[in-house]
Amino acid sequence: MSSVVEVSHLRKRFRLPLDKSTTLKYRVTHWRSSSRYRDLVALRDISFDIPSGQFLGIAGPNGCGKSTLLKILCKIYKADSGYARINGEFSAFLELGVGFNPELTARENIFLGGAMLGLTRAQLRNKIDEVFAFAELEDFAEQKLKNFSSGMQVRLAFSVAILAETDLLVMDEVLAVGDASFQEKCFDTFSRYKREGKTIVLVSHDLTALEEYCDRVLLLDRGEIIADGPAAEVSAAYHRRVAEHALAAERDVASQLDRGDPNQWGSRAVEFVSVTLTDGNGESSRRFDTAGPMTLDMRLLAHRDVGDIVCGMAIRRADGLMLAGTNTFLDKVTVSCRSPGQIVSIRYTIDSLPLLAGGYIVQVALEDITGTHTYDHANAAASFHINAMSGHVGVLEMHGRWQVGQDTDVPSSTAVRQTAG
Amino acid sequence: MTVAAGDRSLLEGIPRPRSVFQRNLNLVRELSITSFKLKYTGSALGYVWSLVKPLMYFGIMYLVFSILLKAGAGTTDFPVQLLVAIVAWTFFTEATSTAMNAIAGNGDLIRKAYFPRWILVVASTTSAMLTFSINTVLVIIVTFALGHLDLTWLSLLAPLYYLELLVLVLGLALLLSSLFVFFRDLGHIWEIVSLVLFYGSAVVFPFELIESHSKKLAELAGLNPIAQIITDLRHVLVQPDKIASMASLIGPLAYVPIGISVAVFILGFTVFHKLTPKFAESL
Repeated sequence: MSSVVEVSHLRKRFRLPLDKSTTLKYRVTHWRSSSRYRDLVALRDISFDIPSGQFLGIAGPNGCGKSTLLKILCKIYKADSGYARINGEFSAFLELGVGFNPELTARENIFLGGAMLGLTRAQLRNKIDEVFAFAELEDFAEQKLKNFSSGMQVRLAFSVAILAETDLLVMDEVLAVGDASFQEKCFDTFSRYKREGKTIVLVSHDLTALEEYCDRVLLLDRGEIIADGPAAEVSAAYHRRVAEHALAAERDVASQLDRGDPNQWGSRAVEFVSVTLTDGNGESSRRFDTAGPMTLDMRLLAHRDVGDIVCGMAIRRADGLMLAGTNTFLDKVTVSCRSPGQIVSIRYTIDSLPLLAGGYIVQVALEDITGTHTYDHANAAASFHINAMSGHVGVLEMHGRWQVGQDTDVPSSTAVRQTAG
Repeated sequence: MTVAAGDRSLLEGIPRPRSVFQRNLNLVRELSITSFKLKYTGSALGYVWSLVKPLMYFGIMYLVFSILLKAGAGTTDFPVQLLVAIVAWTFFTEATSTAMNAIAGNGDLIRKAYFPRWILVVASTTSAMLTFSINTVLVIIVTFALGHLDLTWLSLLAPLYYLELLVLVLGLALLLSSLFVFFRDLGHIWEIVSLVLFYGSAVVFPFELIESHSKKLAELAGLNPIAQIITDLRHVLVQPDKIASMASLIGPLAYVPIGISVAVFILGFTVFHKLTPKFAESL
């Protein structure tokens, strides 16, 4: 099978000038200091091939070099050494709606966007009704783009972007757009591409989306490929890595509650002194097991008599999705801080964590009893990681049971027919 | 997995035209039409401005230079000469000043899409050519109405001079657009250079005025391609027997500006080609 994309020993380094000198005057007056640069290595020695018909995902944290790699693939950047070769035609949408102009009507923008993809006006004219139908914008053809809502703009842009039929499609983070129903349409389109055997490169930091569509995922970190293989394997490697980073960060920071953090606020009439996670043995830990116990210990310090307060906690996935949360008010537990200087200990015990492998964040908050005043709020007071054990997929452990019926227990359709005959 | 996928009407792709030339040409067309359109959208008069503006401009130039200052009083049909020169000059300044921003002003496109970068420069020049065509039609109508355009066999040379102007403008456009990405001072520098060229190219007075002042100065000024193009256009379009061509004014030196035009084009092309890979990272 021939390779559609060949990437060999690709290197890219950016020279970032410490002062951006774009005026002649600066050049003349600062000619001696022309060597003041900071080097940023974006890609170091990247090599891979994409065989025809493969759906490749590229993932990695921000700044890992995935966008740079994509831009070199699409000939927008030039590599310092090595090469990226595409055998055949490609169309790239690194962003939806590139080339669109808000002052033009939707119809004019389709012609312009189509031209960017290499399509002629005559070709587009035959297709334009279909484009509007797909974007669900039939009644807005002659409206100026600036009067469109952002959702409408994205729908139009996506509908134009998928118009060009090429051997290779390169897409950057386009999955994160549109409302749920339109996203489903996008996914249908990707499924069709897959059925048609097109070669696709999809870049995203949403590994879940990549897992669903990609045959193979490349994981980049600091300009290097650190994992390459089937999506599920790479996904596991990625979660391990996220947890390692979290643990490393934990060791580096003395206090869990960094007061300079913008994710924390409140008047601090009462404040958290410490937030600790402990395992079943009563030891402080950052690694837990699915269905295992976890205890959240919080110590509060009151600076004045605030009376009854509410203490809340929530667990979020690393990307911010709220998974579960509760507070003392909802659970009808009273917390009082009546004397200044008093330390109050609060413990929340979870007997069986219903979470699957991955990185999670604990959010804690102290509020007054009416819930209108925040004393102390920390979005990421602690983080923990669930070990991969069961092989179950997703976020939640279902605690379900399988039952398989036998012929004697559950009458099958044939058994029913036999008795009827 | 997705059961509904089969039933849903999907948007099928269109195979792109195989010819890369056709695709590029199409993109040039769309981009230049767009920039022309954008110039007039939102205004109450819209496209009417594309006719009103040059007419006003011609009128003012005619009033100031031909009537008040009596420039070219000795030569025939100076108003027509003025019109021919102004149309050519307007194309030159519009094309070069918009080209300056053709790359730097489209950072978004350059950072996020792949297409040959020269398309942006050619599109901005094409957009200026649209204005030029409108102006030319206006001039033809005005001068025919006045009965002053003297078309002869010699007038067939005019397209060649316009071609020379186009080559010069494209060269400068490529040069300016690519250099402006890295040196933003170029914008101001070019404004001053344009002003020097405006007076040095005998746009609003006959070239003979320079010659009558000093032969040496005329020989120097005649090397400027714009001066040569404008003078020769006047020669072939207005009155061949009364208005001297550049060759008759400065002799064989008149071929130098043609060489300069071609040289500028080659230089612009080379510089643009060299700098192209750096655009996306610098914008």
